[in-house]
Amino acid sequence: MLYSPKRTLKRLERPASDRPEGAWSALGFGEKLSLVAVAATVLIALVGPALMPYSAIIPAGEQLLPPLSPGHVLGTDVLGMDMATRLVAGMQRSLFAALVVTLISAAIGTLIGVVAGFRGGWIDTALMRFTDLFLAFPAMIIAMAIAAAIGQSLGSAMIGIVVVWWPLYARLVRGEVRRVAALPHVQAARVAGVTGWRLLWRHVVPAVMPTVVVTASLDIGAVVMTLAALSFIGLGTPAPAPELGRMASDGMKYFLNAWWIAVLPSLAIGLLAFVFNYAGDALRVVLRRTGV
Amino acid sequence: MAESTVLTVSDLTVTYRGRGRTVAAVKDVTLSIAAGRCLGLVGESGSGKSTIGAAVQGIIPADGSAHATGGISIAGRDLVPITDQAWSQVRGRDVTSVFQDPMRSLDPTMTIGRMLNRYTGSAEASVAALERVQIRRAGDVLKKYPHQLSGGMRQRVMIALALAPQPLLLVADEPTTALDVSVQAEVLSVLRESIEGAGCAVLFVTHDLGVARHMCDEIAVMKDGVVVETGSAEQVIGEPADDYTQRLMASRITLATDRARPVGAPEPAVVASMQDMLDDLGRPDDAVASAWAAGELLWNRFTGPTAAVGAASGLSDVRLVEHVTRPSLTVNEVDKTYTARVRGRKVGNHVLKNVSFEIGYREAVALVGESGSGKSTLLRIAAGIETPDSGSVDSQGVAGEGTQVIFQDAGASLTPWRTVEELLRERIEHTTTGKGLSRAEMRAMALRTLELVGLDESVLGARPTQLSGGQQQRVAIARAVVVPPSVLLCDEPTSALDVSVACSVLNLINLLRHSLGISVMFVTHDLAAARLIADRVLVMTGGEIVETVGAADLAQDITTDYGRRLVDAVLA
Repeated sequence: MLYSPKRTLKRLERPASDRPEGAWSALGFGEKLSLVAVAATVLIALVGPALMPYSAIIPAGEQLLPPLSPGHVLGTDVLGMDMATRLVAGMQRSLFAALVVTLISAAIGTLIGVVAGFRGGWIDTALMRFTDLFLAFPAMIIAMAIAAAIGQSLGSAMIGIVVVWWPLYARLVRGEVRRVAALPHVQAARVAGVTGWRLLWRHVVPAVMPTVVVTASLDIGAVVMTLAALSFIGLGTPAPAPELGRMASDGMKYFLNAWWIAVLPSLAIGLLAFVFNYAGDALRVVLRRTGV
Repeated sequence: MAESTVLTVSDLTVTYRGRGRTVAAVKDVTLSIAAGRCLGLVGESGSGKSTIGAAVQGIIPADGSAHATGGISIAGRDLVPITDQAWSQVRGRDVTSVFQDPMRSLDPTMTIGRMLNRYTGSAEASVAALERVQIRRAGDVLKKYPHQLSGGMRQRVMIALALAPQPLLLVADEPTTALDVSVQAEVLSVLRESIEGAGCAVLFVTHDLGVARHMCDEIAVMKDGVVVETGSAEQVIGEPADDYTQRLMASRITLATDRARPVGAPEPAVVASMQDMLDDLGRPDDAVASAWAAGELLWNRFTGPTAAVGAASGLSDVRLVEHVTRPSLTVNEVDKTYTARVRGRKVGNHVLKNVSFEIGYREAVALVGESGSGKSTLLRIAAGIETPDSGSVDSQGVAGEGTQVIFQDAGASLTPWRTVEELLRERIEHTTTGKGLSRAEMRAMALRTLELVGLDESVLGARPTQLSGGQQQRVAIARAVVVPPSVLLCDEPTSALDVSVACSVLNLINLLRHSLGISVMFVTHDLAAARLIADRVLVMTGGEIVETVGAADLAQDITTDYGRRLVDAVLA
C-alpha cells in the first residue's frame, strides 16, 4: 500500500471555498437600511438628551405651544416643558430599560434552557414545569401585579417584565439545545472524548446563540411596548420624569385641544418598536444566509 | 435516423449567477438521443450532468439566476430560451422524469391509484401499468400511499408514472442511487425492460459507470461542464480514449480488483512520496510518538524486521505478545431492540440478535449488509454511542485508545465553527497519550497526522465549511487517528463521495491500518469496497451474521443465498 493519494487529490479536489469579502457588502439594501435606522435611533437616544438646550423636567417656555413654534420644534406640554427634549430623554430611558430587560431575560432563559435541554431527565422535567408555571398566567397581569407590589418605579416595571419574559427564552433554548445535541457533529465530538460542559460550550451552544440573538433583537421592540403599556397605566416611572408611556397617558387628558402631547410619545414608541423589529428580521435573514 | 431523433442539445451553455460571480455549469454541450435509445450522462459531482438533466426538462430557475444559451429541441420543437409557456406543453407529457428520491417526487397525500389514474384514465389501465413494472398484486398497491411502500416499490411506481403519459423522452437522474444494492439491480432491469417496451428516448444521469454500462447504449462522460468523451457504451467502458475517463474507470472497484495494490492509477511520484512518509513514521523522534512507535514495533516484530523503532513504547515482550494474541475488539452476544409506540401500542424492532464476533490485532473486518440489517447499530454500539440491551463489547489495545469512528457524512461530523486544529487538539487532549502535552507538541502531532492523510499545514486554520467533501473526510479521518485507536470503526465512509475521491479514501484507510497498527471494522453495503479493505467479511441480514468469509476470493467462497445475491448485485 505504498501509495499516497496526496497529489492526485490536490488536483481533483477543489480549493477551500472563498470567504465573503465583507459582512457589509453581503447585505441587501433593506438590511443595510434597517441597520442604519437602528444606529440612528440608538445615537439619538444616547447623545440627544445631552445636546438639547432645555431640561426634560423643568418648564422651558409657554404652556401648550403647538409644534413648529419658534424655539420649540415639537411644542411644549401642559406645564411648558419642551416636547422634543422630553421625547429624546424618554426614548433614551425606554431603550435603556428595554435593552436591560431583554438581556437579563435572555440570560436567565438561556441558562435554564441550556441546562434543561442538555442534562435532560428529571432536571429537564423540573425546570420545564417551573417554566410552565410562569407561562400559565397572562403575562401582562403578572407583570402588573409584580410591578404594583414592588412599588411605582421604572425598576419595578422592569422586574415585572423580566419575570414574565424569561420563560419564552427557556422554552426556545431548550428545544434548540436538544435539536443541536442530536446532530452528528456533537456525536462525533462525544466519540472523540469530549464530554460535559466542554461539549456543551464548544459544540452545542454556538449553534444556539444566533437564534437567541435574533429573538432578543426582535424582542426589544416588544419590551419597549410592554414597558410603555405598564407606565401608561401608571406602573412605571413616576412623573415628572420623561417616560414615553407615561407621557402618552398624561397627554390623553388634553387630546382634544393639544393632540401632540399624547400623539408624539406614541409615535416615538412605535418608531422604536418598528426599527428593532425590522432590524431583527434583517439579522435573522443574514444569519440564516451565513448558515450558522 | 434524423427523423427519429427525439432530443437534440446543441452548444448548450448554462450559467449560474450568484453574489457577483458567474459560474458556467455547462459549457457548449452537444448531444442527441434517438427514439428507443438510452444515453448515459456520467460524471462526478459538479460535472454539470444534473444541470443538463434539469435543462432538458425546462426546470432551470427562471428568476434570472440561471441563464441558458444554445439549443434544446425535443421532437423538432425549439425550447431555448426556456419559458414556462413553451415548456408547459412539453413537461409531464413529452418529457417525464424519474428522480433519485421517489419520496420527494410522489405526492404524500394521494394514493398511487389516484396519481396513476390521471394518466391512464381507468383503474384497469393503472393495474396494467403497474404490472409492466413488475409489481405484483397491483390492485392492492393502487390503494396505498407512498409512505406505505418500500424504496424499491416507490421507484417502480415512479417509473410507471413517468411512462404512463407515453413520453418521447424520459430523464432518469440517479434513479437507483438511494436504493440497496440488490434492489438497485431489480429496479434497473425493470427500468430497462419498461423503456424498451415504451420505445422512448432516455437520458440517464449517473455517477456510476457500472450502472451506465448496464443501462445505456451510448455514454457521454462529463467533467467540469464539458463532455470529454462520447461513444457507444462498449467503446467508452472498454477502450476509454480520454484521460479522465480512464482515470474514472481505474477508480472503479469490483470484486476482481487487485487487493495488494492501491486502487486507482498511482503515479511514480506519488508512490515515492508515500515511501518518504513511511520512512518518517519509522523514526519517531520524541515521546509524543510513542503510541505510534508501539504500533510500528509490534508490526515489525511479527511481520518481519524493518527499520528498528527502539523501545519507545516501553512495553515488555510479554505484554507485546499478550496484546498481539488478544483480539482488539470482542463483541459478545450483543442484543438490541428498539421500541416505539405506534397508536398506543408498543412495537419492538429487534435489530441485533445475539451477535458475537472478534476482530484480531491489526485485522480488518467488514460488516456487509443492506439497510435494516443492523450493521450500523452494531457499529454505534462498538463506538459507545449506544448501549446494548444485553451482551458486551470490549475493545483494548496497546497502541490505541479504545475505538474511534469515521462517519459516513464527514461534513456533518465536524463542528462547523471550530478550526481543524481545534478539532484535532480536542481529540488529543482527551486521550491518555495527549495529557500534559503543550500546545506546540499537539500542533506538531496534528500536523504530522494531516500530512499522513494527504493534507498540509494550510488546512490547520480552516473551518470544515471551507473544505471540499474529500478534504472533510480526510480531516475526519485525521481526528480519528491522531491518537491511534485500537479499532477504527468506519461507517460507510465512502458512500457519499465521488468515485475517485472514494478510491483514495479507501487507499488511505488501508495505509493507516498498516502503518499505525490499528484494527478496522468497516461497515458498508458495498461488497467490492469491503473486499478491498477487509481480511474477513461478515455478511449481515436481519440483525444476524449469516456468513463469515475470507475477503480475497469472496466471489467464489461465499455460500449462503443471501451472500450470493449481494455478489450478483455488484455490477461488473
